[in-house]
Amino acid sequence: MFERFAGSTRNAVRFGVEEAQRRGDRRVGTDHLLLGVLRDADTAALVGVSIDDARKTADSLDRKALVAIGIDVGDFRPSAAPRKAIRAPFTSGARSALQRTLAHTTAEKSRRITPKHLLLALAERERPDAAAALLAEMKVDTAELRRRLSGDRP
Amino acid sequence: MTDDMLAHIRSTDPATGLRAVGALHRLAEQVEAMHVALARQEGWSWEQIGDALGVSRQSVHAKYGK
Repeated sequence: MFERFAGSTRNAVRFGVEEAQRRGDRRVGTDHLLLGVLRDADTAALVGVSIDDARKTADSLDRKALVAIGIDVGDFRPSAAPRKAIRAPFTSGARSALQRTLAHTTAEKSRRITPKHLLLALAERERPDAAAALLAEMKVDTAELRRRLSGDRP
Repeated sequence: MTDDMLAHIRSTDPATGLRAVGALHRLAEQVEAMHVALARQEGWSWEQIGDALGVSRQSVHAKYGK
């Protein structure tokens, strides 16, 4: 699947796997792929958020969820305990997003799969998807983002 | 589990509740990593650490060993 991915996109996926490991998660989800894509400063500028903001927002969502079930852990930073490198499978949502990435590239008759194609697929995700929740919490207008990404020709 | 906590859990929507489960797993990973390291510093064997966690020596070693 990754043969047609441009180097920058393969990096984004690899960064996504790293983010999953950093957070102590067992599978690579759409939220991790989003974090992976945001590691590139240019792509982050397109979305209007930094990778740091996104990581902090993910931590904040975790904290809020715990408070909602009555657990207050104070300064909760899951990224403080990285797992050792594991063979991390993708969640079904992440696999879907990667397939959509290919579909977008094909529709564009483009030969290279760029991080923008991946970002577009992630911006299409809907609740309760993790990337959708993260983008919503960061107040990103995904409809506007999708328009911008679709109208952008290399 | 207290009645308070039960009420809390029941009043949460599943998106939040399931997110909390994920967060608990991450928290458990964090606490485990920290205390496995501390245990090793204090001279615990992988077997003793495995017993404390309720897993095999091999799996702890595979996860944290060099």
